[in-house]
Amino acid sequence: MIQRQRSLIRSRSLTTLGFLSPGLGLLIVFVAVPILLTAWISLHQGSMAIPYSRMRWVGFSNYATIFEQPIFRTALLNVFLYSLANLVIILPLSILLGLFLYQAQVYGRNVLRTVLFLPYMIPTVAVAIVWGYLYEPQYGPLNEILSWLHLPAQGWLGSVHEAMLSLVILNVWQTLGYYVVMVVAGLTEIPQEYYEAAALDGAGWWRRHWSITLPLLRRTLAFVFVILTINTLQVFDPVYVLTQGSPVNSTDVAAYEMYITAFNYGQAGLASAMAMVMLAIVLVLSLLQLRLFRSL
Amino acid sequence: MSVYVKSYRRHGRARRWLSLALQYLCVALILAVMLFPFFWLLASSLKSPEDLEALPPVWWPAHPAFSSYRTVFEVTPFARAILNSLIVTVCSTTGILLTSIMAGYVFAKHQFRGKNTLFVGVLATMMVPQFVMLIPLYRMMVALHLDNTYPGLILPNLANGFGIFLMRQFIAGIPDELLEAARLDGASEWTLLWRVVVPLLRPAAAALVLFAFVFQWNNFLWPLSMVYSPEMSTVVLSLNGLRTYTSSVTFTNIVMAGTAIGILPSVLLTLWAQRYFIEGISLTGIKG
Repeated sequence: MIQRQRSLIRSRSLTTLGFLSPGLGLLIVFVAVPILLTAWISLHQGSMAIPYSRMRWVGFSNYATIFEQPIFRTALLNVFLYSLANLVIILPLSILLGLFLYQAQVYGRNVLRTVLFLPYMIPTVAVAIVWGYLYEPQYGPLNEILSWLHLPAQGWLGSVHEAMLSLVILNVWQTLGYYVVMVVAGLTEIPQEYYEAAALDGAGWWRRHWSITLPLLRRTLAFVFVILTINTLQVFDPVYVLTQGSPVNSTDVAAYEMYITAFNYGQAGLASAMAMVMLAIVLVLSLLQLRLFRSL
Repeated sequence: MSVYVKSYRRHGRARRWLSLALQYLCVALILAVMLFPFFWLLASSLKSPEDLEALPPVWWPAHPAFSSYRTVFEVTPFARAILNSLIVTVCSTTGILLTSIMAGYVFAKHQFRGKNTLFVGVLATMMVPQFVMLIPLYRMMVALHLDNTYPGLILPNLANGFGIFLMRQFIAGIPDELLEAARLDGASEWTLLWRVVVPLLRPAAAALVLFAFVFQWNNFLWPLSMVYSPEMSTVVLSLNGLRTYTSSVTFTNIVMAGTAIGILPSVLLTLWAQRYFIEGISLTGIKG
């Protein structure tokens, strides 16, 4: 009997290994090893085509070079601003819309949720193409709508001051619904008794949500915050499709700069250093945010 | 929910009507903002070159023309791109489903040393931006002569941390007694997984399949780096190409027709199965 159990346990640990190895094996070969190789390349000088064995060790000079170049510093600053602008707009909007979707007593709430969520599921490239035509200064509808309101026409993607904001608006439109769905999921976890008790105590709308909803939504908001940061810091598709970093580098972001450094200029070492810097920033920021929200 | 809203609001009839009117106004406003780009996409795809050049812009063409939906297949190998996207997406999705179910089952129901560390490692892969792996992956595929091929497009996308995480979350909710009963009947772990666990997993598996399908279909960075000949292009890649090569405003209808076709699978899947998407997001609170 004991022997049979032992052999069962052994066979189970074999299946453990067997079930794990396809998934983990792929993650190791196509995620873990490439990260290590990127780190390795970032310490070497080499083109995209040169074999690993012929790359020349240069220590941290690639990192020094990218930070000396104003272009990468600009790209980093731009992507931070992009991320921050998205956070500032999406976080409050997703809470408000989440509350509205959850509480409003109107027909068509499900339709509203679907419509909000839909853009998140379509290719960012397609969204960028459509918004590119919406922003078109002469033939596009946005400036036409502004003119009805007697507001001046805007340069949108063609303007140094507005291009980044235009990309932010595009992203808010596309991803807001996803965060709203997360907020609604968080709201359904809050027991209704709290609100009833608060209402009996005479708490108004703001007071109820400030003292009940926000604190109890903390975990959800932490997730929204972290995912939003991770997703926005790696923005690439709309920049590549719509602006290629222009006008005057105002929409140049880290991922785009890294891509052209690798694939247009062929400088694998510099591009890998950029990738590692972004990886470090993403990891540090997400861990900091998670810790911050846990301590609240 | 409606109970508490009603219970404490001391409202007269007029006030209730006002609140309802305001709510519907909000709904209308949100719908207008969210649907407008879709409207413009459809309208532009049906416009003639004259409509496209008209100032002020034409909102809806007087004579909607569907010809651009045919032209897009003539100016670019769009049918081939659709086929490529389907092949790549179906293979990737199948791979993600299988690897995620097996690994998720082990993480949920097996005990072994180092399990938590390993699982944290799997979760950590979700935080890593795609472009961090890009250069070595590209070099790997070139070295294996797999660049510009289906395997090159598919291989790096056969497993992901999100899928394993999602499956683990669902399988953890299956009672152990159910598994033990099957084990006492002499079922192997393999039969157990496919006969007992997977049938209970259907909604979760549906969510994963849909997410994986949509995100592989939408993928841009990897095909952009991997593909260099038109006949290996994916739909999303072709859309970018169409837009780049048809900069004149009079070709907008063709680009928009292609875009409308390109988003159709994602739109239909989302409308058809949004329940699963929403459940997937709600259960994990996260997406990869």
